[in-house]
Amino acid sequence: MIRPPRSRPRWSTPLLLVVIAAGVWSLAETGVGSASLLAGWEGAAKMIGGLLPPDLDPELLRQLGTAALETVQISIASLILGAAFGLPLAVLIAGNIEAPRWLSGLARLAATTLRSVHELLWALIFVATVGLGPTAGVYAIGLHSAGVIAKLCSEQLEAVDPAPVEAMRITGGSRVTCALLGVVPQARANIASQLLYQWECNIRSSVVVGFVGGGGIGEALGISLRLFRYQELATLLCAVLLIVAAVDQISRLIRARVGATTYAIPGTGRRSLLILGRRT
Amino acid sequence: MRIELRDIHVTLADRPVLTEVGLSFREGEQVAILGPSGAGKTTLLRVIVGAVAPQRGAVLVDGIDPHASRAALTMLRRSIGCVRQRDDLVRGVTARTNILASVAYQWRLRDWGSVLLGNVPRRYRDRLAEVTMRYEIAEVLAAPVERLSGGQRQRVAVARAVFGRPRLLLADESTSGLDPVRATRALDDLQYGGATLIATTHDLRIAQRFPRVIALRDGAVVFDGGFTGPADLRRIYGDDTGTETVA
Repeated sequence: MIRPPRSRPRWSTPLLLVVIAAGVWSLAETGVGSASLLAGWEGAAKMIGGLLPPDLDPELLRQLGTAALETVQISIASLILGAAFGLPLAVLIAGNIEAPRWLSGLARLAATTLRSVHELLWALIFVATVGLGPTAGVYAIGLHSAGVIAKLCSEQLEAVDPAPVEAMRITGGSRVTCALLGVVPQARANIASQLLYQWECNIRSSVVVGFVGGGGIGEALGISLRLFRYQELATLLCAVLLIVAAVDQISRLIRARVGATTYAIPGTGRRSLLILGRRT
Repeated sequence: MRIELRDIHVTLADRPVLTEVGLSFREGEQVAILGPSGAGKTTLLRVIVGAVAPQRGAVLVDGIDPHASRAALTMLRRSIGCVRQRDDLVRGVTARTNILASVAYQWRLRDWGSVLLGNVPRRYRDRLAEVTMRYEIAEVLAAPVERLSGGQRQRVAVARAVFGRPRLLLADESTSGLDPVRATRALDDLQYGGATLIATTHDLRIAQRFPRVIALRDGAVVFDGGFTGPADLRRIYGDDTGTETVA
């Protein structure tokens, strides 16, 4: 049977007009346009010109090495902190774990709170409480990543094949047994992948948090920018690019090793997570 | 394990799935539940394990209603081994961990540590060796289940089901999708032991290997007894004589 062509819903044209109007209004009100680009061009050209050549002073490179190491340390320490808080929350939140409703609700509230507050805001709070330096950066990024890890990993846990878990349950498996031996092993490779991705995010966040006193290479970047030392800034930016690229590469290698890797979806140019099992 | 089902009625999504089902199973009995898809076979097993509560009727397992309390249900379920059409093994862990997980409710803290580190707790070593030898799975014990062939996975699934010496073994279409040789082998594996065995199937050839066959059609019992020959086909299949299934 041939279906009649579906007519466009009556509200679709007005909705489209509203969306376009909202877009134009937002761009105009925020000053985005050729005028602002032209006005900023002179300053941008001066800055770009000032970046070259990058400063390769040995003393600067030595300080840069120390700051880069500190950035990596901040990212790893904040990942550990985030995982330590986030993974238990993820287990409690995941619907197929069947944690008591009140506990699951509390965990969800905690994860939402941690995630909703931006790292920069957490950093300002911790700089005010524990002082300037990497410790504040670790706490700031760690708490925010705990919220993100809790959400993303709980979704990974919920996405596992329910049949083996049900088989465990109908043969007397307790909630803990079903969670630890049925749900978690199936999601493990993907959770590992998620943690590695979070590590990549933490590296980028540590640069931003450094601007407000959270330590690492970001702190040096902030100082160079404020003091208009653009050649120094260029060296630091190159270092940031190298660190991020190196972490991406290491993360990709480990991800492939643990059995979950990224691949391009044919014809879309998009990347997706390919979930595979892992031997234990 | 003795099981008694009295006048069981189950309706799911406004559709009657089981109607007036009254059956009893003796200790150690081996029974095939035969019927086409949608006849209510799986629901019947789910009623026995307490996963589906009947709207009317009573289930008694060794004289106890498993739906009466959580404790009774847990006790019943810990006496059950289960194999389903999909092997239901947990991907991402080894065949050995899958088998040991069937008795996780018995584990002490030390056993958890041992299993999570990839070892076999001392008290399970003899039983694991026995089951491994019986089901010929020694070479696949350390392999992750996703790397096993369909036949190997099925044998591991049966080994897991019988590992804790269950008193009741439920097999839900466990031979579906297997070739005749593998299906026969899987059936032999299930029938070895002495536990009460209830196996659902839509294949008459499989059902014929059981001393007692219960046929379900549209949620009602239409045949209960030993299959004696073609004369029983009309009772089992009604107007459709089931020649397709027999062939």
